[in-house]
Amino acid sequence: MSERQHKPSRPIPRPCRTTAPFWEAAKQHKLVLQYDPDTDRYQFWPRPASVRTGRANLQWKEASGKGRLYSFTNTFVAAPGFEERVPYLVGIVELDEGVRVFSNLVNVAAAEVEIGMKMRVVWETLSPEIEFFAFEPDR
Amino acid sequence: MKNFLKSKDSAIVAYGELKNERRSGWTAYELASQVMSQLLEKTSLRPCDIDGLALTIPLSECSNPFWSNFVADYLGITPRWLQASDLGGISALANIARAAAAIQVGLCEMVMVIGADAPSTQHRANYGGYRSEFWEPTGLQGPPGMFGFLMNRYITKYKLSFEALGKLAVAQRNGAIMNPNAYEKNRVPITVADYLNARQVSSPLRLLDSVMYCDGGNGVIVTTTERARRMGARKIVHPTAYAEITNFNGAQMTPDITETGFSVIGPEIWQKSDLAIGDIRMFQPYDDFLIAEMLQLEQIGFCGRGEGSEFLLNTDISPAGKLPINTGGGQISAGQPGLAGGGLNLVEAVRQMFGEAGERQIKDPANAMVTGIGVIPYGRNWGSSAILILES
Repeated sequence: MSERQHKPSRPIPRPCRTTAPFWEAAKQHKLVLQYDPDTDRYQFWPRPASVRTGRANLQWKEASGKGRLYSFTNTFVAAPGFEERVPYLVGIVELDEGVRVFSNLVNVAAAEVEIGMKMRVVWETLSPEIEFFAFEPDR
Repeated sequence: MKNFLKSKDSAIVAYGELKNERRSGWTAYELASQVMSQLLEKTSLRPCDIDGLALTIPLSECSNPFWSNFVADYLGITPRWLQASDLGGISALANIARAAAAIQVGLCEMVMVIGADAPSTQHRANYGGYRSEFWEPTGLQGPPGMFGFLMNRYITKYKLSFEALGKLAVAQRNGAIMNPNAYEKNRVPITVADYLNARQVSSPLRLLDSVMYCDGGNGVIVTTTERARRMGARKIVHPTAYAEITNFNGAQMTPDITETGFSVIGPEIWQKSDLAIGDIRMFQPYDDFLIAEMLQLEQIGFCGRGEGSEFLLNTDISPAGKLPINTGGGQISAGQPGLAGGGLNLVEAVRQMFGEAGERQIKDPANAMVTGIGVIPYGRNWGSSAILILES
């Protein structure tokens, strides 16, 4: 079963009702986050309710798109659909709003990557419906 | 702190384990049945004597929402208490605790705890949710990627000696060589240099830091100590303390990913147990990646934060040593039978305590600490952690 008949393709997000506003904003290259007005804090990934209060009163707010690299790894064994990109960098970026996102690190060589470096969002077209975020150094 | 296992009323009376194989062609149903046959033969029980069944949901059959019901049918068991745990690598330990609790409240008396999985033959997991939407499109390889993140972050905070991890890799490989149930291709020696020179999978994680999926299975029988004596069981071990935590730091968006659930349940287990850390005769920690064992050593209290490398370099961790670790090779060298992997570390502890570990047998195996790790979440540490103490 591990042999694949067809070449796998890169997974494309399928929005659900909670996440639809995130992907709608992404089409305009806006990175939006859920904001919890009760605690004045953000959360990511999008959920139906606040992880802090359990209340479904979250608001969408546009984020700065800036942050710092929290950690990273250079991937030498591809995930399905990424065979042609090996090796590729994936990082955890901690946004200025106080949430973390998994992201490809682009426009940077592996040897230049440093934990703590400033990053900014860029966008990659995955399908007519999906613009996906990546991060590059904010030099 | 309340500890329902302290009285030694619960007993493990038998263990079973299959040899790990790659692409065996077996299904998890068949493997579970093979484990059962071993358990029944060792105890002279019949399927009709088993009134409780606790299972781990496997990668290879997780598309069946009635997995545990089907297994009962395969085995010819009519359980009055049935448990299917989706706790990944802590499921085996969690099922022992749940079985002991179910027995104590009178739901059942003779429980088979089985893990069986065949992910190298067929892998049917599909996680959905946030993972398909926000994780998989980045190409982040699940466990190796996350542990690459974790290692890089550990290195920014603490001193990490790759020689220390290499020593652990070599010690476990020596265990696999002495373990007939280990994946056969891994039963060859390695050196610290082999570890250091192994190709990177997800930097700085190397191939020899990592487990490899196999097909396999394992299990134990849990009953009351009174029933165990009545049935004439000659060898018994008692689960005497257990602690578990899931979704550690779950409401935090920016926790330190080097801090694990063991930072909570490590201190807790010493409150629950009569044993002190110096009393532990062997440590059989869940080992998907070597760095995970180092974090456990630190956060359970065998050494301080950031002292794992020094501890490993200065401690004899062989079966003859002060703290034997993963004496059968662990999952990294013996192979990871999918989500049944947590049972491999457990069964090795029981085998050692029964005095049946052959040339890797430790002296005075009066107790063991076994751990579990399960599930990789988004941007935090691992999801589930568990610790079980066994005593004779």
